[in-house]
Amino acid sequence: MAYNKPVPPQGQHTKPFWDGAKDGKLMLPKCNDCGAVHWYPRLICPYCHSTNLRWIEGSGLGRIHTFAVQHRAFGGWAEDVPYVTAYIDLDEGDRMMTVLRGVDGNKPEDIKIGARVKVEFEQGNDDTYIPFWRVTEEA
Amino acid sequence: MASPNLSNAAAIVGAAEADVIGYREELTGHKATSLQLHIEAINNVSQYTGIPISDIQGVFSAGWTGELAEHLGIHPRYLDTTSVGGCSFQIHVHHALAAIHAGIIDIALVSHGEAGWSYRGGGGGGGGRGGAQISPGAEMTMAYGTFGAPSQYAHAMVRHFHDYGTTLEDFAHIAVVTRDWAQLNPRAVMYGKAQSPFGGPITVQDVVDARIIAWPLTLYNCCLVTDHGGAVIVARPEIARDLATNPVWITGAGESIGHQNMVEMEDFTATSASRSSATAYEMAGLGADDMEMAMIYDSFTITAAITAEMLGLAPRGKGYTLWKNGDAAQGGRLPINTSGGGLSFNHSGMYGMQLLVEAYRQLSRTAEDGVNGIEGKQTNATTCIVNGTGGTLSTTGTLVLTSDDR
Repeated sequence: MAYNKPVPPQGQHTKPFWDGAKDGKLMLPKCNDCGAVHWYPRLICPYCHSTNLRWIEGSGLGRIHTFAVQHRAFGGWAEDVPYVTAYIDLDEGDRMMTVLRGVDGNKPEDIKIGARVKVEFEQGNDDTYIPFWRVTEEA
Repeated sequence: MASPNLSNAAAIVGAAEADVIGYREELTGHKATSLQLHIEAINNVSQYTGIPISDIQGVFSAGWTGELAEHLGIHPRYLDTTSVGGCSFQIHVHHALAAIHAGIIDIALVSHGEAGWSYRGGGGGGGGRGGAQISPGAEMTMAYGTFGAPSQYAHAMVRHFHDYGTTLEDFAHIAVVTRDWAQLNPRAVMYGKAQSPFGGPITVQDVVDARIIAWPLTLYNCCLVTDHGGAVIVARPEIARDLATNPVWITGAGESIGHQNMVEMEDFTATSASRSSATAYEMAGLGADDMEMAMIYDSFTITAAITAEMLGLAPRGKGYTLWKNGDAAQGGRLPINTSGGGLSFNHSGMYGMQLLVEAYRQLSRTAEDGVNGIEGKQTNATTCIVNGTGGTLSTTGTLVLTSDDR
């Protein structure tokens, strides 16, 4: 079945991310000067304001920082309620938003902040594969 | 950096709202436009203060300044369209204070009109970006099924549970106490069953058992969606003293931002209100212990609780105790959101103006006019901290206001 949820239009400076996603890689922007990885992708390092940036392949591993269970949704997402949105602390640093896989929105008490998660990609359209994160073990 | 002494350099000299607010179409038979809500409020505040609209020298609004000036046929020499969410109006007052202190203008208008109910479902909220460009923040978050503020703010409450051991019951006290205040405001949407089937007093159990919007936020943890128009006028002291209205002094002001997109929120249980209030307290020469009242943007119970912590009114993790122990309630040590708040009075999408109007009414001793407040609503507070929060716990504007009889 075709993907029926919003697919992001690709921006001006994020092509390496989307190209990587198509190959199953989580590409992350990293500053060559201060060494920090940041998210979302900037035109300038948000930590040291250097523009000397490059893309690295991330580990695709992280932990749940916080989450919520969505009971009110529209469009394609309405079919999935209750689903669990979350913010992920990347092993490389900084934070990414997602919808969690491998959890039950009817049992939020079973979802633990700090739990290990791993990235996976779902095809949105020909060009865009969207990263989602799956819980792999308890906190 | 030296801080210029803006303290008391200007006062809010009047506040008013549109002729009909709340569920406008049901009350009047017609939808309200945002422009209409603006103009009614401006006209009303002009009449209230006796300041002709033609005397307004500065117009401050969340994106509407050009249209308002043209519509009113005036040519103000200070234009401010700061549009950073619901706290925009606190920031407008700060900017107006600075402009008056600098001698640029003597009289400023801050205006709000927002047909949140009449045109509900249109996406609304704090000002558009325009054009077809997508920001990288939106690009990297739009795929993940969040719809409106509750879907985002819920993440902050879950983190608060985790960091401080708080529970939904703790936060429910905020909704209950705020609803009790609404029983003293006949214009509150939740004043009673006549206004809304959900109106009238509620209990902690009601809050906990209510329909889930975005877990853990249940219905009563979330603000209303209503129509509102409001306006205040700020003027220099010599003018303020000559008017028949009671001035309320802008004794401190500050603004700050944490992030725009929630993915950039560093600490999910903290906002920039710690910084904006520090600026405001410093300007005022007053501290949290000196505050006798608070108007705290309560888009959600979690917003109010975190903000109380950021303002120094309660320790980190303990903001909810102000409501739970009765401090914030009628007769309490620190009345909070005496209008009934965004939770039970009115929330049009950007609630900052509602905070300002109620703070003015309380400190000008006009809180019990029978229309916007009945017996028991007027407090004797002489100091009030007002904090607006915009976006997704993103931006904040803080004012320390003091009464003329202090």
